[in-house]
This record gives sequence, structure tokens and C-alpha cells, in this order.
Amino acid sequence: MIHDAQMDYYGTRLATCSSDRSVKIFDVRNGGQILIADLRGHEGPVWQVAWAHPMYGNILASCSYDRKVIIWKEENGTWEKTHEHTGHDSSVNSVCWAPHDYGLILACGSSDGAISLLTYTGEGQWEVKKINNAHTIGCNAVSWAPAVVPGSLIDQPSGQKPNYIKKFASGGCDNLIKLWKEEEDGQWKEEQKLEAHSDWVRDVAWAPSIGLPTSTIASCSQDGRVFIWTCDDISSNTWSPKLLHKFNDVVWHVSWSITANILAVSGGDNKVTLWKESVDGQWVCISDVNKGQGSVSTSVTEGQQNEQ
Amino acid sequence: MKLKEVDRTAMQAWSPAQNHPIYLATGTSAQQLDATFSTNASLEIFELDLSDPSLDMKSCATFSSSHRYHNLIWGPYKMDSKGNVSGVLIAGGENGNIILYDPSKIIAGDKEVVIAQNDKHTGPVRALDVNIFQTNLVASGANESEIYIWDLNNFATPMTPGAKTQPPEDISCIAWNRQVQHILASASPSGRATVWDLRKNEPIIKVSDHSNRMHCSGLAWHPDVATQMVLASEDDRLPVVQMWDLRFASSPLRVLENHARGILAIAWSMADPELLLSCGKDAKILCSNPNTGEVLYELPTNTQWCFDIQWCPRNPAVLSAASFDGRISVYSIMGGSADGLRQKQVDKLSSSFGNLDPFGTGQPLPPLQIPQQTAQHSIVLPLKKPPKWIRRPVGASFSFGGKLVTFENVRMQSQQGAEQQQQPRPVFISQVVTEKEFLSRSDQLQQVVQSQGFVSYCQKKIDASQTEFEKNVWSFLKVNFEDDSRGKYLELLGYRKEDLGKKIALALNKVDEPDVCIKEGKQESEFLPPAGRTFNISVSGDIDGLITQALLTGNFESAVDLCLHDNRMADAIILAIAGGQELLARTQKKYFAKSQSKITRLITAVVMKNWKEIVESCDLKNWREALAAVLTYAKPDEFSALCDLLGTRLESEGDILLQTQACLCYICAGNVEKLVACWTKAQDGSSPLSLQDLIEKVVILRKAVQLTQAMDTNTVGVLLAEKMSQYANLLAAQGSIAAALAFLPENTNQPNIVQLRDRLCRAQGQPVPGQESSKIPYERQQLPKGRPGPMAGHTQMSRVPAQQYYPHGENPPPPGFIMHGNVNPNATTAQLPTSPGHLHTQVPPYPQPQRPQNGWNDPPALNRVPKKKKIPENFMPPVPITSPIMNPLGDPQSQMLQQQPSAPLPLSSQASFPQPHLPGGQTFHGIQQPLGQPGMPPSFSKPNIEGAPGAPIGNTIQHVQSLPTEKITKKPIPDEHLILKTTFEDLIQRCLSSATDPQTKRKLDDASKRLEFLYDKLREQTLSPTIINGLHNIARSIETRNYSEGLTIHTHIVSTSNFSETSAFMPVLKVVLTQANKLGV
Repeated sequence: MIHDAQMDYYGTRLATCSSDRSVKIFDVRNGGQILIADLRGHEGPVWQVAWAHPMYGNILASCSYDRKVIIWKEENGTWEKTHEHTGHDSSVNSVCWAPHDYGLILACGSSDGAISLLTYTGEGQWEVKKINNAHTIGCNAVSWAPAVVPGSLIDQPSGQKPNYIKKFASGGCDNLIKLWKEEEDGQWKEEQKLEAHSDWVRDVAWAPSIGLPTSTIASCSQDGRVFIWTCDDISSNTWSPKLLHKFNDVVWHVSWSITANILAVSGGDNKVTLWKESVDGQWVCISDVNKGQGSVSTSVTEGQQNEQ
Repeated sequence: MKLKEVDRTAMQAWSPAQNHPIYLATGTSAQQLDATFSTNASLEIFELDLSDPSLDMKSCATFSSSHRYHNLIWGPYKMDSKGNVSGVLIAGGENGNIILYDPSKIIAGDKEVVIAQNDKHTGPVRALDVNIFQTNLVASGANESEIYIWDLNNFATPMTPGAKTQPPEDISCIAWNRQVQHILASASPSGRATVWDLRKNEPIIKVSDHSNRMHCSGLAWHPDVATQMVLASEDDRLPVVQMWDLRFASSPLRVLENHARGILAIAWSMADPELLLSCGKDAKILCSNPNTGEVLYELPTNTQWCFDIQWCPRNPAVLSAASFDGRISVYSIMGGSADGLRQKQVDKLSSSFGNLDPFGTGQPLPPLQIPQQTAQHSIVLPLKKPPKWIRRPVGASFSFGGKLVTFENVRMQSQQGAEQQQQPRPVFISQVVTEKEFLSRSDQLQQVVQSQGFVSYCQKKIDASQTEFEKNVWSFLKVNFEDDSRGKYLELLGYRKEDLGKKIALALNKVDEPDVCIKEGKQESEFLPPAGRTFNISVSGDIDGLITQALLTGNFESAVDLCLHDNRMADAIILAIAGGQELLARTQKKYFAKSQSKITRLITAVVMKNWKEIVESCDLKNWREALAAVLTYAKPDEFSALCDLLGTRLESEGDILLQTQACLCYICAGNVEKLVACWTKAQDGSSPLSLQDLIEKVVILRKAVQLTQAMDTNTVGVLLAEKMSQYANLLAAQGSIAAALAFLPENTNQPNIVQLRDRLCRAQGQPVPGQESSKIPYERQQLPKGRPGPMAGHTQMSRVPAQQYYPHGENPPPPGFIMHGNVNPNATTAQLPTSPGHLHTQVPPYPQPQRPQNGWNDPPALNRVPKKKKIPENFMPPVPITSPIMNPLGDPQSQMLQQQPSAPLPLSSQASFPQPHLPGGQTFHGIQQPLGQPGMPPSFSKPNIEGAPGAPIGNTIQHVQSLPTEKITKKPIPDEHLILKTTFEDLIQRCLSSATDPQTKRKLDDASKRLEFLYDKLREQTLSPTIINGLHNIARSIETRNYSEGLTIHTHIVSTSNFSETSAFMPVLKVVLTQANKLGV
């Protein structure tokens, strides 16, 4: 059973992970598919994979039911384990790399309720910070806020490190979405609790920045609901939810397009739907891959459905 | 890990799954006395608040009851969908009574919380269960083999499932089937279980192992398989859980012997049928897989026995256990550490005790150490096997280039035997296209740039304009490409020279004609005095005299002054002319100062050539006139600046209408950057189409500037660069990587653009062109092993250039990368060993039924699994029907290949509509490819029905089926069409050899590349015969050097053929023909 499939920064390589404990990397350029690596090291089903920004090399993180996070690196064409993080006491369900501007930082959410942050400090060393009891019974998803500096990036005096405010969102089995912010002393602090779901939050996705002042987060839950949270003024930090849709089954995953205008929602009914905000601010489904099957007038992702 | 605990000796019931928040009801147990031997009883409701880290449970309500309970359940009866607290609490009492409570009233603190009560039973009511299909039905069991079915809608008179079993015995457990609503099972301590069919109103099967040692303490139906159930035995001599399949009711299917002493309670997870909880007199709580017998988890408990255990219906990882030491504990089976909890408690403690010296002893407290032993104790391993609810079965993630990676896992029955059956697990990569119009317009724009057909493009835009303003803008842009652009601008502003001439003539006629006729004779007599007539030079003291004197003395200046003073303007000017330039200028000035006429300032400006003055100070309502004047008079070197100035004024005006007009000024000025700024201000630029609107204009204007002003348009301003990169981003997000690259401004070092370029290039699978150190978009951060490297988080300049690294640059490519641009056709087969047929017949892993399928206890898959999940025995994968439909002229061989249902290569449906035309010489293949796991049969091709070319296609996902790998290795061009290729290439070569300027050469080079589109189509034989014929005709005319004929044929083809079919190569062909014609090769 495949649990995650992610393309790299350029869209030329695909990493998949599976309950067979493997992580696989394929070269998918030009429509081909060449298995580059079959990474073994996990001792349980692998839930998620995440590519680091290519400025750090070809680096992939994976997390597993075996309570481990493994960071893999390609060195001279060979993929190898470069680090293993064993700081969790239960299944690690989610990994997400911070925006590359911050350096190599990985957030990991676990069923033990904790979130750990691994920061590469050079010389093969990783510093670990842990947020204990972030979500009781477990954290299911982590997603970083895009790197936004107060003021324009272009005006930054060169050489000076911009004053980023690091934030990420997490969702868990306590039905909550929590926003975390790094304090000046480097400690992570819960900044906000977003409450709207009535069951486990399965996934959160912070939308990429497209230069607008509004921040947006999508969340989905066991309760079948998908919410779009927006915050117009980051200083006031008030987030308002808007129900995108209530599905009839658990919604497992939400993913923003790079331009942040389309949300892909995948649910337990094996459906993938694409959503877009209309001019009047309503979210509309622009594609329901089930609906179009067999119909000539709608072009759909065929082969999505195995229901015969 | 223990989450919560409550000190109660009580029966427990979780609120139903619909309920949010989660409540736990406890009712004082009748069987166990607590340490106080108190006989008081109560019914309490607690809320499970997981955001509270403490072990305490929040009590919501307590109701003092006169009863103690043998059983307590919480049914979802009459629960609304919103999940407000409701439902009904059903309690089994000591004296044959069943009591219904309203939990919402209990929570509200109402006194009257009992809905109904009935004591029809004999003895304690130990067994209770709610039917999950009809939640108004409750089954209960008590002594004397009594079983009643209660209808909560009609609680007074219960039904019986059939005649009482003999001999009479206590009913210890009762359970409704989870799949078939009219099936009920009961069990008694004697070890017998009876299955009842309520439709027949009789017991249909009795289950017993005849050991006489099964002392049934627990009974549970399989959540998924209708014919299976488990029985637990309390007897220490046989502390087992038996799994029965009623189809083989002679002996248990499996016996779980994991407990050392009698089992007191069991609970089967509804969320994962592989999780069965059991607790026993060995003080263990185990979670086992009843389908295999394996123990997956042992809860860390104390030494006390638990007599009741329940899964939380809403939160599948949570369970509660009631133990004889008077405690109900809530656990998570996901493991985890209690350290956080403990730490919190420690924190709480120390905060209560204040700072380091709470007791004022002068001695700070030693730092609190959490005892070391917790380290080993607190790490509770999770279940050996991940529970079903955390196994994500489906996902869809976006990646660069508008690609959507999706995967799904076929839902299969988690049955023994079925697990070994491998299912194809495809991962799909699809191209998401949401902005069709945007793409086609962008495409057109690119073609125009390529073919230089700006005028007709602008004309098309003018014709299609919705608003006057839009029309104006395009008209202005068009003028740039025409001769006498200034004249044309004037015309656009409403100053057509011919019209004006006519108007003036008309005006003159009207006013003057009659006068002239009448006055003619008079004029002659007055103004043309007969020669020789003397005139009097008056030197008198009046003005005339003074002027005369001044003139006579040659003092023009005074004379002029006098004339001016006397308001004799004409005289003054004429005299001034005679008095020389300087005087004239001064006089003009004085004249203008005196004159008050409306048009004086215009005249002033015209005469003084002071256009700046006009532009700066005219009423902005007259911006047209000002612009016209500038167009007419301004010198080339000041023209742009003046237009700019006017534009700036308009822009700063509050009037929005005028603001937009500023765009026209900027177009005249050729000021791209300001046009962008102005346009952005006026328009809502967030939507792709409005950005397209802007980019169209900008691109055309830049081309115009390039042509007319011979300016270097490569310098790109900040704003324009931003817009262009936004545009490129949008194109990329729609999958048009090549187009995005083409539009991305080139000569800029803005980091975001350089990064985007890098990303686009790599996304195309190309090395980054013209890689210079200045263009490296970001510092390469090394992640060395044991080698000092730059600190993460600090963007340091790498001192050694060699460390600035590009994956495909310096590092030897990994094995997989050798395939770069040349996909090994065998790669797929090698990776995905195929076993045709394996996939397509899926025999259910259990015996097929031999009898009619209407019995409730038929094999589960047949009456339980919804139709859609059922896989027919003779399942054949659907044949991809793309190519035969889409490509009627396609290669028959490939069609045949695709029609074979179990063709060894699964990736065998060809892209089924014309490849989007992507300029830039890159063939971009939208891909969707199932990826298999190794050892995995390849996924069978899915039905793929795409819109026909040109047919309306929904504006969402443009799904491109993967190209079969053998398609990637190009086929040869059919012999009869080879001549086309040779002719065109030969022509390009000839042009190249005679072309002199680099721009033309570049164009030709590009054309040569882009003609590959044509050759590809020839290879695929997808072009219609008319086009092929036309191309041959062109080739012939090229051979006779008759390029103009070729161009005519070209026009004919383009106008008669399907645009999408020819758009990829016809414009290029035109460029080549035009060049050939020009160069005369």
C-alpha cells in the first residue's frame, strides 16, 4: 500500500513510500519512469516522504510507523541514509521541510503527541527540539508557513539575514489545528489553536505565498470536512474558517498547487477533487475525477477509479 | 499510554460515534462493591477532553440513582446528525429492570432523566446490545434464558427472538450481527451460544465446542464478516477466545490462547477488524488480531483485573477499562510517552510551589528529577501492526509544473488469504490544466512573436475588443508597426489630416465666401491703391506719428512697443519681423502676454516650441489634444519624454478614466515599465486572464519599441520582471514549461527570476543554459559527512566555486541519469515484471457459495460487500480505447498493441489528443504513469476516454495518458514524406548560409528545431491528407524557388485546416518561407 508520493522541487523525480517499508525514488522525466533507488531502513510502514530544497543537495526525509525519521541523501549518485532520528515513542506520521530560507529544518509529527524539529547544524549534526504533548494521542500532520519577511524581499539589504518569523501548523487527534511560532529565544510556542473540526484532523496545508498579505491554511478531517482558514492581518492573528465542503467520508489529504489557487482534496472514498476559489470568494469544485469517468465532455484523470 | 482515569467502580459506556464531544457514562456496578461497601449508586457522565493534559476526566453531570447496574450502553437512538448530546442510555439493573435515561437531560442537570423503565426480566440484566442498523431495537438478556427485543418506540411490550432455549440458563452476553440486521447471538456461562434469526423467529444455529469449559463471558460479531464471531471464556481452565465461522460450526475456526487465566471481557474494534481487546483474570489487557491470533499489544496495566473493556466508538485509538480496584482508565493504543504528562504535572507542582525556595528555608529545592525508571517504563510501544485508521489509503499532491501526483489503494477485504493477494498500486502523474483560455491566448501570442505578424494580431485584438479603451490600446499598439506612426496616432486621436483639411475648407467657405464675393471690388479699391499715388508720412504727436518717427529713425523696438500699446498687434508683429529674430521673439512674448484668446496658449506653444508647457499645464480633459500636439510637433528625441510626462500627469489624476488613458501615452512613449505600472494600478491583475491581457500588450509594445526605436529591450524593469515571472509561473503551473521559459525575461539577475529559470530548465530535464556563476540561483549548501560545511541557516558564500554545485553538472550522474533524454524502452519491463492474466482473475479467497445467495449467512463478500467493491471472477481490464478513436490514421501496429487487454506493457495508451503546442523547441509530454512496486504486476490500463481534438474539454484536469515507452524512441518518417524533411532542412541550411545578421540566423535555428513538431507528426502519421498534400506542394514550390507560391499554399493550408493540428509548425514554416523569399536563396 502506497502512503505517499511526492515529486521533487523540479518535478523530475518521484519519491514514494509504502507499507512494505520501502522508500523508492523514480526518475520520471520525459514521461519515463526509472527506478533510481529503493531505500531500505525502516522497520514499519513508511507514511510520508518530503524533499528538501535542492540547494541542500538531493535530500529526502521519510517517516514511519517504526517511530523513526530517516534522512536520505544522494551522494555521487548513490542514495544513502545520512541521519536517523529516533526521538519519538510512537508512529511518526508526518514530515515537512521548512522553507529553504531558514536552513535545513525538518518538522516531524508523531502519534506520541509530540512534534520534533530537526535543524542541521553542520558537520553531520542535527539539533533536536521537541514540543511535547502538542496533540494528545497524536499529531497527524505538519505544514510550514511560507517564508515571509515583514516588508519586501527585494528591498532587503544584501548580506543581511532577513528577519524571518518561523511558523508552522499542525493537526492532530485532539481535533485541533495548532499554529506554532519560534520565539526569539529559539523555543517553539503554541501561538494559536484553530478549532472547527469535530474529529481527528488528518492533514493541514499552509498555502504557498503568492505575495498577498493574506495567509491561508487548508485542513481536512476524519469528520469529512475541509476548512480553509484565512488570516488577513498576520499581526492580529485572527483566523477565520470557511467550510470548503463536507464530504461523506474521511478526508485524508489536502495539497495546494504551487500558485496556491487550486486545492487538491483526497478522501477515503478514493476520490480526488480539485477546488478553486471563485471571484466571489466561494470555493467551487472544478474537477471531480469520479464524475467525469466515461464522459467525453469532461477531461479527467482517468484511471483514478478502480471501482468496476 | 494512559490518558485519563476516574476512580469509580462502575460499568461504562462511550457516547456513540456521532457524538461530539466524546462522553463516557459510568454507572455504579452492581457486581463489584467498592472499598467503602457503599450501596449508593450513581450515573455519571464525563467528557473526554484530550486537550487537557491532566489525567483527570472532566465530570459533566452526576445523577444519583436508586439502581446499581449490570450493564450500561449508550445507543444513538434519535440522535440528530449534528451530533448534539442525545441518544439514549440503556441500563440493565439488578432486578430484571431495564431503564432508559436521556443523557442530554443528565448533562443539563434535569431531575427527570428517566425516559422509561421496564422490569419484565427475571434476575439481573447482564446482556444488552443496540442494533446498529435500527437503533431503536435493543436486545437484552437475563436469567431463565430470557431474551427480549425492545423497540424504543414502543417500549412497553418487548418481543422475543423465539422460544426460550432449554434448559433455562443465564444469558451473559448478547450481540447483534454487524452485517445482517435481523441476526442476533446470545451466549451463556454454560458455554453455549445461540444464533437467532428474527425473521424466522427461531434459533438457527447453536455453537458449542462441547468442552463444557467454555464459560462465556464475552461474545462479539466480526465487524466485517457476517458469519464470524468470537466467544471468550471466563473459565481458568480454558482461558481462550474462540473464533467461529458459522459455516463451519462444528469447531472453532481459531482459538486464541493468549491469556493465562479466565477472560472477563472482550471488545472488537469497529474501526479495524484486526483489533480485538480482551482482559482477564491474569490482569492483562491484550489487543490481538483475531484473524491470526497474534498479540499486537499489551496494555501496561497494574495488577488489577479488569471486568469491562470498551473501545471508544468515535476515537478509534482510545479505549477504556474498568478494573476491580475501582478505577476506570482511558488508554490510547498508539503508544507514546507519558513524559509530557508527567512533565506537565511536575510543572504544575513547581508552579504551585512558587520559585526555588518555597518554604523560605534559605535552601533552594534541588531540581526536580523525573525518576530514571520512567525512561524505560514510559516508552510504550505502539501496536505491532499499524491500525487501519492511520494507514493513509489515498493522496494527491501538487508538484511543480501543475502536475498532480495521485495514488490510491484499492480497498480490499482484510481477510485472511486476501492479504497475500497483491493489488496494483499505481501512482499517477497528471497534468492539471485549469486555464485553457489563458494557455491558448499565450500560445497565440508566442506564435505572433515568432511569426512577427504583429499588425494582424493587433487588428484581431481590435476587432475582438469589448471596450472602447481596449480597442484604443490595441489601435495604438498596432500603429507602432505601421508607417507614419505619428500620423496614425493623430488619426486615432481624431485628427485625420484629410478630414481636417476638408473641415477647414468648409469653415473658410462658410465664413469667407460670401464676403469675398461682395467685397472683391471694394478691396481692390481700398487695399491696392493705384501706384504712384502719394502717401502722407505723418510725424504728428499721435501714436501714428510717433511710430512713424521711430521707424524713420530705425528704432523698431520703440515702434513695436507703440504698436503694442495701441493694440495694433498685426503691425507690431510685422514690424518685429523686420526688426530681427530677437525683437520678434520678444514681441511674440508680449503678444502672448496680452492676448487672452482661448487658443493663445496653444499658439504660444506652437510658436515657442514649448511642448513641455502644454503637456505640463494643459487641462487634462484635453489630454488628447496635448498628445496630438506632441505627436505633431515634438522632435524625436523629446517625443518619448513628453508622452511620458503626459502619462504621468494623467496617472496622478484622481479620475480613473484618465488614469487608464495614461496607458495610451505610455504606448506612444514606448515606455513598457510605466505601462505595466499604470495597467497594474488600473486593473485587477490577480486573475490569469487579466495578466494575460497585460502581457499581450507588453510583449507587443516591446517588440514595437525594438522595431521603431531600436532600443535595447532586454533591460527589464523590476515591475515588468515581476509581472513576467508571475506570468511564467502561471504558465508553468499549467504545465507549459517551455512557454514559461520563453516568456521569462533573460537579462536579469533578479534572484526570483534566475531561480525560476533554473527550475524551469531542470523541470524540462535540460541543463541550465548559459550557466554562469552570477546566474546560480542559490548557494549550494552542502550536507557533508564529517566535513565542516556552512552552517545551515546561514547563507554563506561558498568560497570554492566548485562547491557551487548543480546536480547534473559536476557530479557524475547516478546510474538512472544516464538515460538522460533517452529513455530506455526496456526500463519499464525490467522494473515491472509482468504477469499477464495474474491481475485479471481475482478469485475470492474463500469458498464460493454452493447455494442460493439469499441467506444472511452466505459468505460475506457476497451479501455484505457493496456492489462496487465486488470484483467479478472473470474480470477483464477495460481496453484503453484512446488511440483508435483519437487517431483514426494512427499507426495500426500501435493500435493493435493497445487493444490487447493484457499486453505486457501496461503503459500503453498514447497521448490521446494533440500535444499542446509548446514553443521553445521542447516536446513536453504530459504524463500519467502508473508506477508499480517491485515484484508487483503492472497496473492494467484504465479506460481512457478523452475529448476528441477540438471537442469541448472541461477546463480542469488535462489528463495525458503516458506515452508508451516504445513511442519515445522515434519511429522513422515514412519514406514518401521524407522529402518534406529534406526539403525544409535544405532550405533552412541555404537560408542560414546566406543570412548575415545574427537575428535571422537565430530565427532560422529556432525554426529548424521547431519543425521537429512537424516531423513528429509525420512519424505518427497523424496529419490529415489535405495538410500532407499541401506540405508536398510547398516542398515543390521550394524546389522551384517559388517562395511566394509556397506562401500562398501555406496560407491556404492554415485557413482550411484545424488550427490545433497545424499550430505547432505552420507558423515556423511561414517564417522560413518568408526568409527564403527575402534572402532570395
